[in-house]
Amino acid sequence: MTLFGKAIYHGSRLVLAAVFIYAGVTKANDIAAFAGQIANYKVLPYAWNYLVASILPYLELLCGMLLLLNMRVRPAVLVLFVLNIVFILALSSAIIRGFDIDCGCFRSNSNNPTSPLAALWRDLGLLVLMVTTWMLRHGQQPEESE
Amino acid sequence: MNSLSLSPALRRIILEAFILCVLSVAVGLSLNFKLIFNAFSGKAISVPGYTSPVPEKATAENLETSPSFPMPVSLDELDELLALDAVLIDARSALSFQQEHLAGALSLPFADLNSHLVAFKQQVSSDQTLITYCSGYGCSDSFELGERLLKEGYADVLVYEGGLPEWKSAGRPLEGAGQ
Repeated sequence: MTLFGKAIYHGSRLVLAAVFIYAGVTKANDIAAFAGQIANYKVLPYAWNYLVASILPYLELLCGMLLLLNMRVRPAVLVLFVLNIVFILALSSAIIRGFDIDCGCFRSNSNNPTSPLAALWRDLGLLVLMVTTWMLRHGQQPEESE
Repeated sequence: MNSLSLSPALRRIILEAFILCVLSVAVGLSLNFKLIFNAFSGKAISVPGYTSPVPEKATAENLETSPSFPMPVSLDELDELLALDAVLIDARSALSFQQEHLAGALSLPFADLNSHLVAFKQQVSSDQTLITYCSGYGCSDSFELGERLLKEGYADVLVYEGGLPEWKSAGRPLEGAGQ
């Protein structure tokens, strides 16, 4: 792989790591508030909001840490890709139903809430980074190490 | 059929992704077991390091015998009480209240209680039934506010532990700048 390819790969990987570690830590710090943000989407029964809020931050954190450490990159990217697709579907649903809510992507009770539309664009950008990281990972290490 | 089969490398990646998910579920469930259990069972407040002294749901009998602790009420019980002119009290911050709150609720932030209490007592008489709430089962402010209001002379104080998340999830009306 060229130097440029390596720079793109590591840049994408580290941006994804930073985004998902930050998201995981801020959500894990206040699970109840995050459950409230999930409830804003009105797609899950009440108690299930707590269940999802209790698991999701640790999944983001674990995948973010693996990306940071450059270990098990493709499995981590695959999990985050699927998660991101779910987020995009949820955000699209909120936009279609006309909900003016905080996306619940990062810090709970933020004074600067992110609208579903802005979050949707950000998630699409993250998808591009995930595809880039997945594709360029092949040139970084032999497949066996994944 | 061959065109649908996955390569060994891809199968391994999917297996490892699945293991990541299982690990996260295990960590999430073990760290938040009480919160999840309470949310599914509708039991009393339980936050790390906090044990609720409330033994059971509010009934006419235990309201009379245990007036020093605010009793928890469910969403169904809340409906009945609101029909009898009970007052909803939002224990969250004033900023959170401005963003959104249960329709008809009054703000009394527990974190800044002393600066709001005098005005609140002038506004709400002590014979009113009060129902405090905050951000759901992981939040203890509503219970602590309920305890304080009982000490301040309000005789009938209850806690709606499902709070804002349950209310929203049930599709009940909200008010505030974010609505």
